[in-house]
Amino acid sequence: MKLEDFRGRQADSAASEEELREALEREFQVIGRRLRRTDGMSKSTGRTLYADDITLPGMLHAKILRSPHAHALIKSIDASAALELRGVHAVVTGADMPVPYGIIPWTRDEYPLCVDKVRYIGDGVAAVAAIDEDTANRALDSIEVEYEVLPHFLDPEEALERSDTPIHEPHKPGQNGNISKKVHLEFEDVEKGLADSDVVIEGEYYFEGTTHTPIEPHCAIGYFDPSGKLTVWSATQVPHYLHRELARVLELDVAKVRVIQPPVGGAFGGKSEPFDLEFCVAKLAMITARPVKILYTREEVFYAHRGRHPMLMHYKTGADRHGRIKAVDATTIIDGGAYSSFGLVTTYYSGQLITAPYQMESYRFDSTRVYTNKPCCGPKRGHGSVQPRFAIEVQLDKIAEALDIDPIELRRRNFIGTNTRTINELRITSNGFLQCLEEVERASAWKSKHRKLDYGRGVGVAGSCYISGTNYPIYPNDMPQSAVQLQVDRSGRVAVFAGASEIGQGSDSMLAYIVAEELGVPLDYIRILSADTDLTPVDLGAYSSRVTFMCGNACIDAARKIKKLVCEAVAEAWNCKAKSIMLAGGWAFKAEDTAQKMPISEAFNLAEAKFGALGATGSYNTPKDIHGTYRGGTIGSSPAFSFTAHVAEVDVDPETGFVEIHKIWIAHDCGRALNPLLVEGQMEGSVYMGAAEAIMEEHIFKETGLHNAPSLLDYKIPTSLDTPEMQSIIVESIDPEGPYGAKEAGEGPLHPSIPAIACAIYDAVGVRLDRLPFSPPRVWAAIRERGRQEEAGELSPWKSPPISVPLPATGD
Amino acid sequence: MIEALRLTVNGDTQEIGVPSHYTLLEALRYVLGYTGSKQGCDKGDCGACTVLLDGQPALSCILPVQEAIDREVTTVEGLAGPDGPHPLQDAFDLTGAAQCGFCTPGILMSAASLLQRNQSPSNHEIREALSGNLCRCTGYTKIFDAVEIAARALRENRPAAEVVRA
Amino acid sequence: MLRLHPYRYHRPKELGEALELLREHRGDSMPIAGGTDLMPNMKHGLYTPSHLVALKGVEELHVIEERDGELVIGAAETLTRVASDPLIKRRLPGLARAAEGIAHPMIRNIGTIGGNVCLDTRCTYYNQTYFWREALGFCLKKDGDVCYVVKGGSRCVAAHSADTPPMLMTLGATVDLATADGARSVPLTKFFTADGIWNTVREPDELVIRVRVPIPSPRLRTSYQKVRERKSVDFPLLGIALAVEIDDSHLIESISLVVAGLGAKPRVVGGLDKIAGGQRLTPDIIEEVARRAHRQCNPLDNLIVDTDWRHAMVAVYVRRAFEEVLGQPLAAA
Ligand SMILES: Cc1cc2nc3c(=O)[nH]c(=O)nc-3n(C[C@H](O)[C@H](O)[C@H](O)COP(=O)(O)OP(=O)(O)OC[C@H]3O[C@@H](n4cnc5c(N)ncnc54)[C@H](O)[C@@H]3O)c2cc1C
Ligand code: FES
Ligand code: FES
Repeated sequence: MKLEDFRGRQADSAASEEELREALEREFQVIGRRLRRTDGMSKSTGRTLYADDITLPGMLHAKILRSPHAHALIKSIDASAALELRGVHAVVTGADMPVPYGIIPWTRDEYPLCVDKVRYIGDGVAAVAAIDEDTANRALDSIEVEYEVLPHFLDPEEALERSDTPIHEPHKPGQNGNISKKVHLEFEDVEKGLADSDVVIEGEYYFEGTTHTPIEPHCAIGYFDPSGKLTVWSATQVPHYLHRELARVLELDVAKVRVIQPPVGGAFGGKSEPFDLEFCVAKLAMITARPVKILYTREEVFYAHRGRHPMLMHYKTGADRHGRIKAVDATTIIDGGAYSSFGLVTTYYSGQLITAPYQMESYRFDSTRVYTNKPCCGPKRGHGSVQPRFAIEVQLDKIAEALDIDPIELRRRNFIGTNTRTINELRITSNGFLQCLEEVERASAWKSKHRKLDYGRGVGVAGSCYISGTNYPIYPNDMPQSAVQLQVDRSGRVAVFAGASEIGQGSDSMLAYIVAEELGVPLDYIRILSADTDLTPVDLGAYSSRVTFMCGNACIDAARKIKKLVCEAVAEAWNCKAKSIMLAGGWAFKAEDTAQKMPISEAFNLAEAKFGALGATGSYNTPKDIHGTYRGGTIGSSPAFSFTAHVAEVDVDPETGFVEIHKIWIAHDCGRALNPLLVEGQMEGSVYMGAAEAIMEEHIFKETGLHNAPSLLDYKIPTSLDTPEMQSIIVESIDPEGPYGAKEAGEGPLHPSIPAIACAIYDAVGVRLDRLPFSPPRVWAAIRERGRQEEAGELSPWKSPPISVPLPATGD
Repeated sequence: MIEALRLTVNGDTQEIGVPSHYTLLEALRYVLGYTGSKQGCDKGDCGACTVLLDGQPALSCILPVQEAIDREVTTVEGLAGPDGPHPLQDAFDLTGAAQCGFCTPGILMSAASLLQRNQSPSNHEIREALSGNLCRCTGYTKIFDAVEIAARALRENRPAAEVVRA
Repeated sequence: MLRLHPYRYHRPKELGEALELLREHRGDSMPIAGGTDLMPNMKHGLYTPSHLVALKGVEELHVIEERDGELVIGAAETLTRVASDPLIKRRLPGLARAAEGIAHPMIRNIGTIGGNVCLDTRCTYYNQTYFWREALGFCLKKDGDVCYVVKGGSRCVAAHSADTPPMLMTLGATVDLATADGARSVPLTKFFTADGIWNTVREPDELVIRVRVPIPSPRLRTSYQKVRERKSVDFPLLGIALAVEIDDSHLIESISLVVAGLGAKPRVVGGLDKIAGGQRLTPDIIEEVARRAHRQCNPLDNLIVDTDWRHAMVAVYVRRAFEEVLGQPLAAA
């Protein structure tokens, strides 16, 4: 094909002369614009293939037999009858995969299928592969498992006391096997801080567990080819860790394992570690020499869980009379469920991540994660820090009230600043928190509302911060956290190979915008090939809000290498300086004279002719001197922090306790917004999720340890009629190290929702709800209690003029 | 027991053999290969499996496959024609209304039926029409925007992109 | 996916054929209309009939018309139709609103009023998968012999959870039933029983053919108050239907109040004629009615939501029902 042929084709999407002149004026061509996603059209037309949309020839279907007991020893398993059923191809049990796994290398305490003990109702015990699901189910029914039932613990405080019945063997003799992790850290003298305080507020907060409920249930397919290579397709957000764990547990050469992550139908942290189904499809595929699929039922998704940990938090906060925080003393019991998961990190996060955006003079936290006989908790959007954020922000509201300071003003006074360190030595660089506060204060007309609205309506404010990726990988190594490889075709098409996991957050699109920005190719010339361990360089996965920051930086690194070659080649052809060459809008052109231009493909061809095949790799690794110098000080450190402030306005129906969230104003400092449309999408999705946790979601259990109601009917997530109105305000404090100054947007914006709503309810009706969720019965009971106190003269009526609350008839 | 049925899906009438205890969703996804319709709960609680049955949104996961006989089934694959995507699809793409995209096919079917009935839906009417389709990613805001934009595009008979720009 | 058991799906075109099929397979067959209740229940292993007799294609079950001073609604009419039909909206606006509040649009498009009247009772220990129920130990409504709601109880107290029956009851509706052997009519107030396992007088091979509602006097005002957690999808935590006939000076000619979401049978709040009949509708009367309802209606732990709160809500929503029929807040009444 001649070069001219490309020209005509590219003319369609290439920029006009006028646009090129405009381009010269702009800092960025692509970044910062409200562009379409690369996967938007395929998703909107139903063409995107998710894991369960894949069918392989000869594929078998497998099902997992689950424990009906919360805590029991497995005495025997007899699967002989199952194996005799027509259509059954294989049965595996714990004995077939006796290597423990776990996302954190120091706490590997799970088996693909239970080996000698089950620890919650729903724990996997055996798996059957058969010609179809009906046959597999029949086979499960015929498997005989003999259990010896043990006492089970649902309450972490009870489990703590019952070290005589450890859910896991203690690491060392004499230790309590029901303690999963304990962290105690103190920074400066908290007792002194409290003693020096003018006001000390003490409170106990309880955060009920919640779960992710992505709409796509987990699904995996295993295929073992005759040459001995294993391929697993899985709806995971961590293909790299899955890759390693599959090889380790199945005792295969890592190089002979391939993990492919199809687009994932929502994850939110719920798919960020290996699960039983992935090991089972792999093992069953190896045994049967057939592809094997497992698709969780919705019920199984609830059992797999790894959702938000229930936390019981005791907080003591001291401040001087100007509202400046002198001491924070936090004691937290964390209900971990049956296994460790990310629990070691969760335990640190529950204390480490609340030391900004406020300055504190002294700080101490004591967090204990306890095993219980319930589905295992793990990371859910805002891992580990959403719960303590609820506690500390409500504490601040109470301090503001005690000191008669406006709660926004109080937060301003405690602002930690930019380019500083937190009390636990985490490095903070860019910080747009003050602007976030200002934005929500203005947009919500806060000053005319706080304590000024009629009884029943109220506003509340809260702030927060969150990491843009963890500074250290889950297994210690010095290699990059993220890498990208680019390959340029003679047509002008650029392929991006990246390990990053597209889970709906837009990571594929983010990479495309970066390549388009750097190389000047139109977006539809870019192909993103992501998360396939045979094709793509390693990225650690879509967790801890790390992808834009880390993979984005890696992508810039790769793209700039190619850009340099292209500019050099064009400059040589035009006999000018490489510096004069710009790549934008589908062209290579001369900055001084936009009429001098060639299609980008032609520029690529010149570069290929000069330098050989065009390709580049780029990588990113975190700076290593930005964490605390104490044991555990690396956990919580991040190359950049995002900041958020919310104002929530609610209507509380005092007769029924229903809380209607009228509106939430969200200001989020995400550094540079690479695509504001997608940033808003993340902000709104986060706030929706937080608001739902505040008023309706509850991941709870019957006394036997059985999940209360594992369905999307009974586990309440808001419908389109329940979702609050939201106004997103993006604040861009350009980060010195982020890609074009970007930070995270996917998790941070969730944090303040819950405390802001709690404080708004207080403003509306004068009741403090320190226990989640703020469901109608709880709110109603609290209002009645206040009513009684008012009647008894213990409290004066809330808001003036006093309005008497009609109490429901109590019967005769 | 395998039953021979004649189904009309996205305009094509086909004779297929399906186990008699299959739902329409299973027949679509695993027999006919229309994987656009999704399964999120399999019992009527989430709306991911929504298809149009004679133009009305219905849940294919709790619809016995036989109930689709002699009726027109439209799935998300049938929304886009040779002329290109449906204005709703274009609007979803423009506004970033599909994040993970898993709820999207179901939501599009509900929205398409709404716009068929009502070309100027209010925000509340949009919320009502979508109130059986759970989305866990977006908080619904961009979805409401997309439906409004598509409604305007249909009313004004011009591409969604122009409506956004205007 | 959740698997269904194998069955034969019959699609009769005529009523006689449908009734014949049900008789032929009596004990091992069930009628299915929209299936929006039965299909999830079958996926939970709660029913496993070998024969399903589909009603949607039966001509005789489709009708909405005014006949002899009654509004006649065929059992297979969809909830969407009931909610939007001009005749129903004009004559029985309370029924249209009750139907409009059911589930969500897709379910209303398929679910029928006949199915709603025959809706199986619901309980947190019952509407669960086979695995779940087995793990807990089966309950007496299905496969077991213990009640988890009333400890030691021997009568099932699963909750009547359908939205249209309370309204229909206050309107004095009658259901026409038929088997292959004959037909009968039962006033809806006599249709439900207090047995949560099978809470109607309908025989298993008997069909609801239609619902007949006397055309109310123009002075009848109705309200249906549905308490639910979310504004869509959810079943009622409480369903409160009120019908009062009042003249311009607010003199009460008749009053009827039905509360569902408690036990197996919707409760007709009794003794109201005595306190309200012939009286002027005043805040005091309303308060008295609310108190009675509160005393007579005791929610149980068959739903997951706090019973004290649900109990208190009976009174609150009875008041709100009055507010709605009066078209104004109570304070102004
Ligand atoms: C997510 C979800 C939410 C729901 N929310 C609500 C709600 O808010 N309020 C509410 O009331 N319902 C709700 N439902 C239940 C159900 O959808 C409705 O009650 C609907 O009206 C049932 O009608 P159907 O035609 O689908 O019944 P089917 O499922 O077809 O039948 C229900 C039962 O009645 C029997 N039956 C049906 N028709 C007849 C007949 N003509 N004669 C004799 N027996 C018959 C069947 O054998 C079966 O036992 C909900 C269901 C789901 C899945
Ligand atoms: S899959 Fe059909 S409603 Fe959820
Ligand atoms: S876009 Fe993910 S569930 Fe709606």
